[in-house]
Amino acid sequence: MENDALKDKLDALFRLQDLDIMIRELKDPPTKGTEEKMGFSVAHLEKLQLARTRLAERIPALDLRLYERISRHFTHAIVSVENRICLGCFMGLPTSAVSLRTEPGMVRLCENCGRILYWLDY
Amino acid sequence: MNGNHPVLQYFSPDLFCASIQATAKRDVLRELVAVASAAGGVRGPELLLEMLERRESLGSTGIGKGVAIPHGRSLAVIRMRVVFAIARKGLDFDAVDGKPVKLFFLIVAPPQDKKNEYLPLLGRIAELVQEKKARDRLLKVETYEQLQAVMEDVLGGE
Ligand SMILES: [Zn+2]
Repeated sequence: MENDALKDKLDALFRLQDLDIMIRELKDPPTKGTEEKMGFSVAHLEKLQLARTRLAERIPALDLRLYERISRHFTHAIVSVENRICLGCFMGLPTSAVSLRTEPGMVRLCENCGRILYWLDY
Repeated sequence: MNGNHPVLQYFSPDLFCASIQATAKRDVLRELVAVASAAGGVRGPELLLEMLERRESLGSTGIGKGVAIPHGRSLAVIRMRVVFAIARKGLDFDAVDGKPVKLFFLIVAPPQDKKNEYLPLLGRIAELVQEKKARDRLLKVETYEQLQAVMEDVLGGE
């Protein structure tokens, strides 16, 4: 059950990051205007902003602060782990970190780069 | 199985759907995600579907002339993938020109894109479907091998 709670917590942050990536690519140079030039409609950016606000409101304050803090340092605060490799910094994770992933309710951070780790096998 | 054109590395037989079953927009996205998921490039199909639906709320990816290119980046995607699918009868996808959509390219990519391949791929597909000849040929495709041949041809010797 506690692992389910952690999965829900990570999934909420996961959704937030997906949304942030989308908003960023629409607003930030050099990608701003790219989709429009390709012929895609991007008329309702405000809907994404609103969805972002609503989603953030549902995330516990501590988790949100952690995500925002890491996002200030990295383009992607959450990265996946594949074959015990953090796909943010591409460093191998120690076996201890791998076994700790099941610690109840804990969002794990990469010991090397500090990004939030999303495990493939949840 | 993949052809020589670099764009074809993101296509594969298990990402090919000769006939979409769905008849409504939400169901089509779900069906396309299911194809991508079954092919193994995706974890958390529900999270991917949610991202794609959010992208549609920004503005339909039905770019007109019977073509839709739903797309986006998500942590749910392990490798960049393109699902090609045909809705033989055409369906309402809120396309910009209001016309039914028959050709679908679902393009999904992971958040990190070191070689910066995602936006150029999206642009290349959006560009090639502007040509009537390309659309007509794609509509006649019934097998992955035919898709491969048509794509090789319309993409030309890039
Ligand atoms: Zn790391």
